[in-house]
Amino acid sequence: MIRVMSDGIPVRIPLSRLARGQKAMIECSALAGLPNDHRCLLEAMGMGESCQVRVCRPGSPCIVQIDQTRLGLSKSVADMIMVTPIKAD
Amino acid sequence: MTAIPRIALLGNPNTGKSTLYNRLCGLRTKTANFPGSTVEHHVGRCQVPGGGEFDIVDLPGVYSLMLEIPESRLCRDCLEGRLGDRRPDAALLVLDANNLPRNLQFAASALKRGLPTVVAINMVDVARRRGLVIDEDDAERELGVKVVAVSARTGEGLDALREALLKVAKPGATAPSPRQPYPTSEIGSPASTRWSADAFSAIAAHPRGKVPDSLSLHDRLDTAFTHPVAGILCFAVAMSLIFATIYWLAQFPMDAVDSVFGVLSHAIEGVIPAGTLQDLLINGVVGGVAATVVFLPQIVLLFLLLALLEDSGYLARAAFAVDRVMRRAGLPGQAFMPLLSAHACALPAIMSTRLIPNPRDRLATILVSPFMSCSARVPVYVLLTGLLFAGRPLAAGIAFTACYVLGAIAALGTSKLLRASLLRGASSPMVLELPEYRVPSLRTAVAVAIDRAFVFLRNAGSVILAIAIVMWWLSAYPKAPPDVRSAALLTQAAEIRASDQDAAETLVAEANRLDQRRQQSESFAGQVGTALEPVFAPIGLDRQLTVAVLTSFLAREVFTTTVFVLVGAGSDANSEDSGTLQSVRNATRDDSTPLFTVPTAASLLVFFVLAMQCLPTLVVVARETGSWRWPLLQFAYMSLLAYGCAFLTYRVLA
Repeated sequence: MIRVMSDGIPVRIPLSRLARGQKAMIECSALAGLPNDHRCLLEAMGMGESCQVRVCRPGSPCIVQIDQTRLGLSKSVADMIMVTPIKAD
Repeated sequence: MTAIPRIALLGNPNTGKSTLYNRLCGLRTKTANFPGSTVEHHVGRCQVPGGGEFDIVDLPGVYSLMLEIPESRLCRDCLEGRLGDRRPDAALLVLDANNLPRNLQFAASALKRGLPTVVAINMVDVARRRGLVIDEDDAERELGVKVVAVSARTGEGLDALREALLKVAKPGATAPSPRQPYPTSEIGSPASTRWSADAFSAIAAHPRGKVPDSLSLHDRLDTAFTHPVAGILCFAVAMSLIFATIYWLAQFPMDAVDSVFGVLSHAIEGVIPAGTLQDLLINGVVGGVAATVVFLPQIVLLFLLLALLEDSGYLARAAFAVDRVMRRAGLPGQAFMPLLSAHACALPAIMSTRLIPNPRDRLATILVSPFMSCSARVPVYVLLTGLLFAGRPLAAGIAFTACYVLGAIAALGTSKLLRASLLRGASSPMVLELPEYRVPSLRTAVAVAIDRAFVFLRNAGSVILAIAIVMWWLSAYPKAPPDVRSAALLTQAAEIRASDQDAAETLVAEANRLDQRRQQSESFAGQVGTALEPVFAPIGLDRQLTVAVLTSFLAREVFTTTVFVLVGAGSDANSEDSGTLQSVRNATRDDSTPLFTVPTAASLLVFFVLAMQCLPTLVVVARETGSWRWPLLQFAYMSLLAYGCAFLTYRVLA
C-alpha cells in the first residue's frame, strides 16, 4: 500500500531516508533531481519508472534491490532520488 | 581472399560476457588498439569444430548504448563502423537469464540497430535451479533473432551458439524482425519497460520475480563488506593475504626467470667473443630486460588473484568500503581498480583509467597512481628494510608494510591537493551494480592474467629495452683504464695461484671490483653522479649511491642492481643470501665510513616510496593525457616530495 498524505497525494521522500528492508516505488520524475548522466545511467541499470525498490542497506553506501539487480549508491545520489514509500501490509 | 567474419560481443556488465568470450576463443585472443585510436580492445578467433571460423570483438559491458560515457561511445562507434576498418558483420548479444527484464530492454535497444544478431541467454543453469524456465522458440519470436540458451561456465549450449554465429556472420543474413516492434524510446522509459515486461512474460515460464521481504545472507554480507570500519578491515585482510600469497608464490617462478636469463647470458658468452658487442648484449640487452621481466610472475599473480576476487563479487563491495576515504581525497569510486592494479605496475593501471568518465577524475587518478608501491619497488624495499632491521624479520615486515601505507597516504594527500588547486571540484559520486556472490572462474582469471602479462612483456621488449641500452652505454663509456691497485692485485694473484688457488680467486675478484668501481665513477653516469653528489648529500647519499639513484630514475629496479655491482656482490638483486647482504652491509664510502647507515637507508626508503622513477610510466602518462605537461609536473612534484621527505627522515635520524 502506497503511503498518502491527508489530501491523497502520495508522500515522496529521499531514498536515503528509507529504513532497511523498506520498499518504495520509483514514480515519474523520481530521478529529476539528479544530473543527466546519473539519471540516464540509473534508468539503464533498471531504476526506471514504476519499478519497485527495496533497501538492503541504508546509509552510505545505500544498497537497493530492483528485481534481481542490486545497486550501490553514494549517499549524495540516494539523497536526490525521490521515492514513494510502500507501507508494509 | 575473403575477410574472416567479425562479430561484436555486446551485453550488460556482469552477464558473464568475459567468461563466454574466453570459452569461445580460448587463448586465441589478443589485446589491440582500434586503428587510429588509443582505445584498447580484445579480438579473439573462434573456430567451429565442423569447419569455419570468425573473429569476436569483445566490447566493454554497458547498460545502454546511448550513455555519454567512454564505454558506450566505444560500442556505438564500433557498431557504426567508425572504429577499425569496417563495421562488424554481426553481433552476439549476451543476456543474463536471471535478470531478463532489464537485459531485454538493452537487447531491444541493440537489436533495433538492424545488425544480424544472435542472442545468448547466459547462466541458464542458475536460472533453472531457481525455477525459471526459458523457451528459446518463444524468445526467438519475441526478439526476432536466433536465441540460444547457454551456460558459459559449464559449456552448455556452446556448440549450438558457434553454429548460429557462423550462420549469422555469412553475407545475406537477415536483420532482426520481432513480434512487436522494438520500442523507439530509450531504456528506462515506460514504453521500453512495457515492451520488456511483455517479452519476458512470453519467454519465461513464471512471472516476474517479486523482491524478497526478509533480510537475506546476501544483505548481511553486503552490510559487513561495505561497513565503514569492518569493510575496510576486511579489505585490508584480503589485500594482505593477496600480497603474502604473491610474495610467497612468486619467488619460485622468479628464480626460474632469473635462471633462464642466466643461461642466456652464458650462451652469449659462448658464442660471441668478449668485447663491446658481448658486453652490450649481456649487460645491456639481457641484463636490462631481465631486471624487469623478473617481476613478471608477481604481475601475473596479482592480476590472477584480483580477477578471482572481482569475479567472486567481493571487489564491488570493497570499492564502496574505500569510497568514503577516496572521495574525501577527491578520487572517484572508479579509481579503485586502477589504484589497486597499480600495486603490480602503474602502466596497466594508468591505461585502465580510460573508463573513468569525468576527465578531472581521470587525470587525478593518473597523477596519483605512481605513488602506489609497484612491484619494481619490491626489491628496493627488500634490500633497504633488510639493512635497517637485520635479524629482525618482524620489524622488517612492519617497515615493508609501512612503505605501502606511506605510498597510499601520499596518493590521497596529493589528490586532495590537486582537487583544491589544478583540478578543482568534487569527484563524481559512485553508482555501481553489486553482482551476485559466486565461485570465481579460474579460466577467466587465467585469461586476464595472460593478457596483462603480454601487455607488460610488450613494454619490456620496447621502451624498457631501449632504456637498458642507453643506461648500458652511459655506464660503459668512456672506458676507464684499469685501476692501479687492481693491476698489483692481479700480479699478486698470478704469483700465488699455484700455491693457493682460493686466495688467488679472491684477489682477482677484488681486482675486478676495483675496476668496476673505477668504471662506474669515470663513466658518463659516474661523472654525472660526482657532479650531482652535493645535491644528494643532504639526504645522506655519497657518490656511489647518487649514481645508483640517478640510474634508477629510468627504472626503480635498476637501483639494487647498481648497488650490488658497486659493492662487488654480484648483480643478483633478488638474492637473499646472507653473504650478499652482508657485503652490502659492510660496504664503505670513499672515506671508509659505512655506505649504509640507519639514517641513509631510512631516507632512501622514503625516497623510493615517493619518487617517480619510471620512464615508461612518464611516457604512458604523456600518451594518455595528450601532452608532456602533466608527466613533467608529476615528475617534478614527486621528485621534490620524495627529496623533502627523505631529507626530513635523514635529519631526524642522523
